[in-house]
Amino acid sequence: MPIDRSVVRARIENAAEYVGPLWPLQTFNAANPLLGFEDQPFDRAVQKAGQLFGGRGYPGPTVFRQAWENGEIDADVLTRHLAEHGITERPEVLLDRMDADAAGRDAVPADQPLDRVLTKWLAAFLDQGQAAWPMPNRADGFYAAWRTVAPYDGDIPGVDRPSDLPGTVVEAFEAVLESYPEARWEPIFVHHLTALPGWTGFIKWRSRRADTAWQAAHPISLTEYLAVRLTLADRMGAAIAPDRTDELPTNGTDQPVLPRIWLRAWEESYRTRLLDDLRQTQQTPPSAADAGRPDAQLVFCIDTRSEVIRRHIEQQGPYETHGYAGFFGVPMQHQPYGTEARVKSCPPIVDPKHRILERPAEPHRAQADRYDWWARLQKAGTTLLKTLKKNVAAVFGFVEGSGGFFGAAMAARTLAPSGLSRLDEALDDWLPGPASFCEPTVDRAPPADAEAEEGLPVGLADEAKVLYAEAAFRLMGWTDSFAPVVVFTGHGSQTPNNPYKASLDCGACAGNPGGPNARVLAAICNEDAVQEALRERGIAIPDDTVFLAGQHNTTTDEITLFVDADDPPVAPDALDRLRRDLHAAQADAATERVRTLNTSVDEGRPAAAVRETERRAADWAETRPEWGLAGNAAFIVGPRALTRGLDLDGRCFLHSYDWATDDDGTALENIMTGPLVVGEWINTQYYFSTVDNAAYGSGSKVTQNVVGKLGVVQGNGGDLMSGLPLQSLKADDEHVHHRPLRLMALIQAPTDRVEAILDRHAAVAHLFDHEWMHLTVMDPEQDDAFVHYQPGGGWHARPAPDASTATRAPASAGRPS
Amino acid sequence: MSDDTNHADTQHTLHPLKKIEIIVRGEKEPFVKDLLDESTVSGYTIHHNVTGRGEHGFHEGRLLFNDRDGLVMFFAVGQEEAIQTIVDGLTPLFEKSSGVMFVSDTQVVRLDKFQQED
Repeated sequence: MPIDRSVVRARIENAAEYVGPLWPLQTFNAANPLLGFEDQPFDRAVQKAGQLFGGRGYPGPTVFRQAWENGEIDADVLTRHLAEHGITERPEVLLDRMDADAAGRDAVPADQPLDRVLTKWLAAFLDQGQAAWPMPNRADGFYAAWRTVAPYDGDIPGVDRPSDLPGTVVEAFEAVLESYPEARWEPIFVHHLTALPGWTGFIKWRSRRADTAWQAAHPISLTEYLAVRLTLADRMGAAIAPDRTDELPTNGTDQPVLPRIWLRAWEESYRTRLLDDLRQTQQTPPSAADAGRPDAQLVFCIDTRSEVIRRHIEQQGPYETHGYAGFFGVPMQHQPYGTEARVKSCPPIVDPKHRILERPAEPHRAQADRYDWWARLQKAGTTLLKTLKKNVAAVFGFVEGSGGFFGAAMAARTLAPSGLSRLDEALDDWLPGPASFCEPTVDRAPPADAEAEEGLPVGLADEAKVLYAEAAFRLMGWTDSFAPVVVFTGHGSQTPNNPYKASLDCGACAGNPGGPNARVLAAICNEDAVQEALRERGIAIPDDTVFLAGQHNTTTDEITLFVDADDPPVAPDALDRLRRDLHAAQADAATERVRTLNTSVDEGRPAAAVRETERRAADWAETRPEWGLAGNAAFIVGPRALTRGLDLDGRCFLHSYDWATDDDGTALENIMTGPLVVGEWINTQYYFSTVDNAAYGSGSKVTQNVVGKLGVVQGNGGDLMSGLPLQSLKADDEHVHHRPLRLMALIQAPTDRVEAILDRHAAVAHLFDHEWMHLTVMDPEQDDAFVHYQPGGGWHARPAPDASTATRAPASAGRPS
Repeated sequence: MSDDTNHADTQHTLHPLKKIEIIVRGEKEPFVKDLLDESTVSGYTIHHNVTGRGEHGFHEGRLLFNDRDGLVMFFAVGQEEAIQTIVDGLTPLFEKSSGVMFVSDTQVVRLDKFQQED
């Protein structure tokens, strides 16, 4: 039966909506695993996803019990929510009931021979440089390559030669789908795509947007995946269209009411406490120290980890801090010095527009030459080592001769990680890395060079420089009061032997450190022409302000400033003072953070806390170098004055914004459609990885194995694991560290401005209407009253402490949905 | 549909063809591009950052930090059969995803520019 190829592809496209994209480990991006369900209300979406993936949609009773016993859920709030549903039993009784309901839910999925065979070939085909002996014929595409080797696979019955299998992808679909009407194709595709959501998520990423060299060399698509899977299912006697694929999951009535109520009560409890704290801060008059010109202003990523270090820096002296997306608004692809690799360095929802190379600065040419000489020697050594390890003849003699050395190195890494780390630092002092002698190519390459470069243009045009610099200050609402030193501070983690390093780096930089972006924005802002253009646009940068770049090591809280040691642009004593205060802030921040890391460090000794974080940063056996963004619960858009002095426990994204300098709402619009959406992706990933780690997370790091240099599996095969590992979410087997709450966005701006933005951006409004996150506005035109967005449109005032029900806000114009 | 028209003053001949305009969310751009690439139309035009109101509400185009949620508009011109293939590939898509397509009669001067590719 001839089938219409374009119709098959459209049906696959629709079916693939249920599978979220999965980025490879190197650029691990936080994303909502239920991204394809965001067009539906949260409660219905998690129910449907539960049917497809078998995953839980709400926290389990153990998590609620922990929150209840810790006092994180207010009894009054919970009682009110329960009463609204006619439930009057005591919370403890309800927890026991949820325990009983949950018993037996976590059944181990049955081993599927079809999955086992398919994942074997997917791992072989998709390998990105790990296999010493790669699968043949990959350039022909997945189906053709698999068809060639399938006769050698003893697990596939009845295939003696390739011609026993359909010759093309289209023929494969024709052979399997001929007995099904078109109306059934989509449910069939959904079933087979969601059977392995990790692998299909990765194929979705690689085939759609990635544009990688691996995809160009070894093409694969979900269509090819399905052609192989359906052919295999046919040969192996597995169901093509299982019982429940007649229709997609429907809206049932057996929704888990109790967990839903408890989650809402927990979220409201958190929100109420946060808003109370903010209200208190508003009532505290600013101190006299806040009035003068600060010594320095530091701009950090909105990342929740920045909140801790910012607080401690501000406590050191006359410093101000701001929050901005950690890619610093520069949508770029970065090519580090000495490599051919081009790394995307902007958020997952932004496409890079420029390529930035690192080139040795002319005064440091000799230093670069010295580095190059050693780098070439090291590369030759690594190549030789790889050859010796993989060559069939050489490997036995090599192991015999070098075993003692490698054994000793392994013992040293295990027993004395801190010592090795210090050795590394000494080596770095002796041979400084590219950051010390390179500068980013922010200028457009001359036309002759530009023609030679492929892909994105190198550097930025003058208009682009002004655009990104202006956007940064406008979005932060920062048009005057510049200190003599302004530092754009990116962030990155430090962790060896960790496949999930990218999940600890900057999410706004596609899982890379944000230092390179910070250097680009600082270089732009130091240009006279850019400063002049900014002054014409009303951003008054004084002549004596110098912009620096730095990077916050989120594992140790150390902040490195990228300053030319031979020719510092800031007076040495001012620089020394800044470095000294950053060092003191590091000690305070590390002391605060190690308390949560299950350590026995003496809290009274900050130096010991720093040493403990440095050990974690160097230890190759450490499964939890830091907590990453665990704990994230709120996204605050407003000036730092709103939160300054408040201990937010590293749980809030902080984006600077000043409603008074944004009359037309453009800055707020860009924050709500950009960084806030990325915050929601991060929050939902932490949420789902916590509520069901087996379905949406990646299990324990102890039993993970890296496959194909692209992802991890549990044990020796199976589906790619898609979310965060247990060690990034739980303190121990019983206790969660990340409290799974949906993100609460708090924006200080006039309500009608926020409302107008929601009216213009249906995609953002749907996230609130469908309760993927919550929205509260602090309205400065109504005496900073808090009003809460109601799903579907309209606003409610915050319930007064003594009131039991919400009241309508004065400005509660309903928004048509 | 109009027949070929001779304009005595210019001597340009207009040839009837079909035009398709497609508006989808940015994330569907690769899908539509693949569909058009594999069809027999000789080329197409893409407008990014399109603004407008649809069944699901308003979509503002000019977003500084979001290339995913913006709308993208394609248009292509070709023979009726080529356009029909594109319609066949998009009809199932719009059962699930938001988006619209419009097909209309149009005329071109240089017909060879729109001939089928082999």
